[in-house]
Amino acid sequence: MALRQCAIVALRNGLGGRQQVAAASSLAKIGNRDVVGYGVNGAPNYYDRVDFPMPAVRFKENTPDVMALREKEKGDWNKLTMEEKKALYRASFCQTFAEMKAPTGEWKSILGISLLASSIAIWVYLLMKVYVYDAIPDTLSQEKKEAQLKRMIDLRANPVTGVSSKWDYEKGDWK
Amino acid sequence: MLRSALSRASCLARASLLETASRVPAATVSRNVSKHSTETDAELDARYEAYFSRNDIDGWEIRKAMNDLCGMDLVPEPKIIIAALKACRRVNDYALAVRFMEAVKEKCGNKQKEIYPYILQEIGPTLKELGVNTPEELGYDKPELALASVYD
Repeated sequence: MALRQCAIVALRNGLGGRQQVAAASSLAKIGNRDVVGYGVNGAPNYYDRVDFPMPAVRFKENTPDVMALREKEKGDWNKLTMEEKKALYRASFCQTFAEMKAPTGEWKSILGISLLASSIAIWVYLLMKVYVYDAIPDTLSQEKKEAQLKRMIDLRANPVTGVSSKWDYEKGDWK
Repeated sequence: MLRSALSRASCLARASLLETASRVPAATVSRNVSKHSTETDAELDARYEAYFSRNDIDGWEIRKAMNDLCGMDLVPEPKIIIAALKACRRVNDYALAVRFMEAVKEKCGNKQKEIYPYILQEIGPTLKELGVNTPEELGYDKPELALASVYD
């Protein structure tokens, strides 16, 4: 336990410089925005997610008009107009829940492209059948197949449970 | 060399284990070995209501508590919602209150028609007193703006 603690302290000292640089650069990416929460994982990123409703940073930067709204926000909320309330919401958040969950219509493109791909595959098969494959051998004609079956029966092929077991040799016909 | 190091390590381990055992206060309930919580619903409600009702709460803590609450498989009780909305008022964050209302509506899942009107009825007085509009009143129950795709 104490050994592990020593190891952790040593590692932290060794990596200390790099960790501080990493922290500074991730904060530099957000510009003038407030870090307001833990968000998804503690990093100062903005996500619109229904399962993490409160992101770690505000959406918009702190411009003078946003700051003026914030001053008004400190007073009675009943005195805010609808536009101001909406502006306050959009300053902190990018999309509302309704916009996050709105259907994208992606299923149409997925279905369309899948059907397109299937039709191309069927075309390829048809063209192969016409231009690539040889003709079917003549041994697959009905008369030839019957002759082969007769030969199998005469040779007593599979006499216990197979085709010859189904043939009645006295009668000369199927059982 | 290795054996002496191992014996020293085991001594340290035993010493630290004894220390941690003595640091556990006597008033706690028996330690849970599994991740399954033994907290009742009422205890959870009381805990979150007390947390949101803290006078010195700040925006970071409110958001963390809200995210945790929305991560649980439950719809928050009206009294927790009221405490959270009042906490938003204390930190002067209007957008947070509306966002929380949207999140609560989302947590109702597919029973929204049964649960959400009840919640609105329970917290109606608080909404009026604080001046918080529901998402429907702001027009946010339907999509308002469209987000340009990053791929175009």
